[in-house]
Amino acid sequence: MDPPLVNDSSFSPANPSSYTLSEIWPFPINDAVGSGLRLAVNSTPSDKDISTAAAAAAAAEESTVTDLTAGWGGRKARALNSEEDESSKMVSLSSSGNEVVRFVRFCDDLNVIVRIDLVESVTKKDSGDKKRKLCGSESGNGDGSMKPEGETSSGGGSKATEQKNKPEPPKDYIHVRARRGQATDRHSLAERARREKISEKMTALQDIIPGCNKIIGKALVLDEIINYIQSLQRQVEFLSMKLEVVNSGPSTGPTIGVFPTGDLGTLPIDLHRNIYEQQEANESRGSHPEWLHMQVDGSFNRTT
Amino acid sequence: MASADKPINTDVPEKDVFALHFLQSLSNLRRQNTFNSPEKTNDRVKKIKKAAYVSMARAAGGTNRLWSRALLRRAAKENNKIVRFPRRKKRVTCLRRRSNRRDPVEEEEAERLRNLVPGGGGMGTSKLMEETAHYIKCLSMQVKVMQCLVDGLAPK
Repeated sequence: MDPPLVNDSSFSPANPSSYTLSEIWPFPINDAVGSGLRLAVNSTPSDKDISTAAAAAAAAEESTVTDLTAGWGGRKARALNSEEDESSKMVSLSSSGNEVVRFVRFCDDLNVIVRIDLVESVTKKDSGDKKRKLCGSESGNGDGSMKPEGETSSGGGSKATEQKNKPEPPKDYIHVRARRGQATDRHSLAERARREKISEKMTALQDIIPGCNKIIGKALVLDEIINYIQSLQRQVEFLSMKLEVVNSGPSTGPTIGVFPTGDLGTLPIDLHRNIYEQQEANESRGSHPEWLHMQVDGSFNRTT
Repeated sequence: MASADKPINTDVPEKDVFALHFLQSLSNLRRQNTFNSPEKTNDRVKKIKKAAYVSMARAAGGTNRLWSRALLRRAAKENNKIVRFPRRKKRVTCLRRRSNRRDPVEEEEAERLRNLVPGGGGMGTSKLMEETAHYIKCLSMQVKVMQCLVDGLAPK
């Protein structure tokens, strides 16, 4: 492990964007070294690469990236400034080494993301998050805040991403998480969310329709739903035909009491309730073909 | 009957409200029949059917639902009345998105469903599913109540 290198003297005058670091870091850096705070470059292949590259950079006296390592236990704070790309490239040219070359290549890949992540304590982490957001907005790249999963570093990056996602406040948008191998652009995410919503509604619909739970496949389920609605509408038609027979029949029997021609009191409802319960009681008789037959007979009797 | 073996979910459709409206319109129709000259049977059947649907739409919450709103609007248009519903939404008439990526079979089925559910032409797919669920519940309630009426009121 390399000894921690501190060069804050070359930091502030070299680039104007380093004020964020100095603001976040009010205490002297030597103390930070003791407390296990580490500043590294984002999206490097592994921790050791970061440290060696940053150490080499610091030794070349041109560096803008500081790496303070006291504990390697996954606690890291990372900073990468877009304005520093040229200078870091110069550093890599001056100081040879495989790690540095890789580091610079990574810098070229993600050359616009400014991110500072301080994970020393909770309060310091919060302030670091705020500052990181500020830096991201300053750099003018929305991608850094939109998709945190796409740019995690390969070494210990998942842990850092989880830590980063945690302190974000809950918002009113739908949270969609892309699985491995799924597309992460916003159209795909929106489409996936829409499809999930539709399938959820479809399962709710499936529960309503009797005997529809066993059917697999969206098209078949939709077909069944359509058939069910059509059968219900046909039943309504038949029943209205039958009611027409009853309604316009001779005004004898119970119809007089049922339909009082005038204002409607609560009488029909009570009657209807009684009828309803009665019908519930003798539900067991299979009425469908019977009344259909009866209905046809009745309508013919009416027309003739 | 397909819907007879499943109990009606009582919280969504109010069968009492439906029965009240329906019986009221039936009595109105009956009065018209006795006073006016006798119409043809088909017209009376149509009127009763329309009364049943309008009562169902009223019982289902009036203009709160998209399908009941469409039903009431259609019925009012047939009566040549100009209606203004409260809380009218600004709605695009055709929200259907044409896309080649989607499953064509599924889209075709959804299109058929749109034609069946009243007011389904302006809905998106997820909204269509929601409205269809409510519409099916109300339809089964309506069928049950009408069946009860027929069974109870048929001359012995």
